[in-house]
Amino acid sequence: MALTRTAPGRARTARARPPGSGASGWRRRRDAVGLVFALPALVLFAAFAIYPMLRVFQLSLYDYNLTSPPVWVGLDNFRFLFGDERFLASLGASLFYVVVTYGPAVLLALVLALGLNTRMRGSAFVRLLYFAPVATSWVAVSVIWRLVLQPEGLLNQTLNTDIPWLTSSSWAKWAIAIAAIWKEVGFFLIIFLAGLQNIPKDLQEAAALDGAGSLRRLRYVTLPLLKPITVVVLVMAVIRGFQSFSPQVVLTGGSFGTEVINLFVYKTAFASARMGRASAVAVLMFVLLLMVTFVQLRALRKSA
Amino acid sequence: MGGPDESEQPMSARPRARTVLLPALALLAVAAGCGSDDGGGSTGEGDQIELTYWTHTHPPMTELNEQLIAEYEEANPNVNITYETIPNNDFGTKMLTSLSNGSGPDIINMDDSALRGEYIPKQLLAPIDPAAFGADSVEELEGRYVDGTLDGAKGDDGTLYGVPSEFNATAFAINTQHFADAGLDPANPPATWDDVSEYGQQLVAAGHEGFNFVYLHAGWYTQQLQTLLNETGGSILNEDGTGSALTEPESVEALQIWHDLIREDQVGDADTASREATSPFEDFASGRRSMTMIYPWAVEQIAIDNPETFENLAVVPLPQVDPANPSGRWYGYYFAVNKASEQQDEAWKFIEYMTSQHERWLEDVSFVQPLKDWEQSPAAADIPFLDVWSQAYQQGKFDEVGPHWSEVQDAIKAAVERSIFDGQPPAESLEEASESVEQSVTS
Repeated sequence: MALTRTAPGRARTARARPPGSGASGWRRRRDAVGLVFALPALVLFAAFAIYPMLRVFQLSLYDYNLTSPPVWVGLDNFRFLFGDERFLASLGASLFYVVVTYGPAVLLALVLALGLNTRMRGSAFVRLLYFAPVATSWVAVSVIWRLVLQPEGLLNQTLNTDIPWLTSSSWAKWAIAIAAIWKEVGFFLIIFLAGLQNIPKDLQEAAALDGAGSLRRLRYVTLPLLKPITVVVLVMAVIRGFQSFSPQVVLTGGSFGTEVINLFVYKTAFASARMGRASAVAVLMFVLLLMVTFVQLRALRKSA
Repeated sequence: MGGPDESEQPMSARPRARTVLLPALALLAVAAGCGSDDGGGSTGEGDQIELTYWTHTHPPMTELNEQLIAEYEEANPNVNITYETIPNNDFGTKMLTSLSNGSGPDIINMDDSALRGEYIPKQLLAPIDPAAFGADSVEELEGRYVDGTLDGAKGDDGTLYGVPSEFNATAFAINTQHFADAGLDPANPPATWDDVSEYGQQLVAAGHEGFNFVYLHAGWYTQQLQTLLNETGGSILNEDGTGSALTEPESVEALQIWHDLIREDQVGDADTASREATSPFEDFASGRRSMTMIYPWAVEQIAIDNPETFENLAVVPLPQVDPANPSGRWYGYYFAVNKASEQQDEAWKFIEYMTSQHERWLEDVSFVQPLKDWEQSPAAADIPFLDVWSQAYQQGKFDEVGPHWSEVQDAIKAAVERSIFDGQPPAESLEEASESVEQSVTS
């Protein structure tokens, strides 16, 4: 609104006043003021996000142990990683975690969101319950689940089993996935609920008038209109999954096949002091996540 | 009416100047804030000296450290010491990273594997200052200690970088009440690992966990395997340290002992073992476990954690593969000074004070600082099972170390876990570990 009203005025002022004065000059000054306001945040962002990121790209081409000057090794770090069983195992552990945690978590969130997208008595409270784990820190959640997953913990007692959830290569990765699903469902549930509440009600009503049952309305109205949100959720799920670190550290310390990629990066960088190699892993993960996100967005555009 | 609306009117000069100046000042404040942390140890206020001192977590040691620091500060009012304990699982990583980037503490207390494997080769530590200890030379200072006990803080060229805060040998603890429950004679403790198996099964039948190892971080896994390796004649690395020796029969035998005790003879349950790194002997102290490998410092912790268990505690010699040819394991923690410290002289003076209190270290927290004839000191006379400890100190040796040792330790931890928790045969598990070790020490 402001722009359409000010445009003629700006044209008149430009003719009537010397350059740099009047509305156009004022706008430039306003932009400059805005920039100055934003500058502290921009400086901090550049210092603590952009610069470290660029340094990681640079370091991936060096052998650097923190104490000696970096030595240029070109692509050697990347070549090493493609033949390194520990790296490949951690990549596999991350993939497993993403699929086994976030597949069920997203599906469950969608089902729950459909169920909670009604004006029932107490539905706000139920939503709050599902969201509570999201608001709790990963470390706190992991500590709670460590107790639940103990050999004589709540889960074994409930199931009447004797499963070594956290000390077996067969079970540990599933145990972490169970804990992570519990924590993450609420996050996606809220996003799906927001998406569902943006679907125009008249479309549902029109479909109902045309004789569509609830399942057909879900399939032909709700889910197609929810597709943009679904893609956002899937992109976020993949990114969150690959960024996982805390549950593996707290629950197993990365043992029993649960050393995910971020934990591998952490140990390589700070326990082994191989900063170049750790940076190379970070670069590979950046590229991988970029590609996955690109494919997901392309898929959305195609189906839209 | 066609001009800018009221909200977009140009501001007057004064508000505009204020609008520009305020964020600019904020930016300056942020920049000043970033620049004010010089990370140095000195406050620059006259002669006031600021020292920082980091250790791992061990409650009895922490308490004594705090007492000694308070005494030192009282005697030296111009010195202020900031003491921090780092959780055991993060200790190595945090210390190495901070020392490497020059922001570490002035004084560290660190184990010999980390010193010899990482800190000394990376030139992160200051060579010892004998004058601070009233000695004319390093040789004179070394002469005060039992032969070989300072080797844990020496570089390949023989330069000494620290003095012991604690020096440990390995023995074996038994719960005499549990022995009585199982009809065993505490005066006839297990002399071999076969005995441990036999006794352990009887203790399990009596309702106790007979024996188990400690399952904490990679360092613990490695040091326990190293103890067995010392007995079987195996090793982690080959003689020149350029490759793995984990697939040698003697090395496999070491893990086989561990595997057989837990998986085959089931004298303990690894799945239910405590993983609390601050209290490594919790299972023994709580009265759940009957037998465990033990170090001198653990005795005091058991006494604090559970006086009842302490009453029934007997420390006996470490079981052997070959009792006629006994072997053991040494390890030590050493006070050392950060090479980047600007207060090195003051740091060494403080360390001298800490080591001058060796009687209190022994009496209060069972830390042996291996000065010559320490066994004859008044404090040692009150140490329970002194004869066993004295014998253990005669037959130890330091752990192996090599390049990228943390990766080697990770590989060993994974091998033990595959074998003990997942049941993989030790030879297969060590074969896998061997490949990782080769890669770590050669790349």
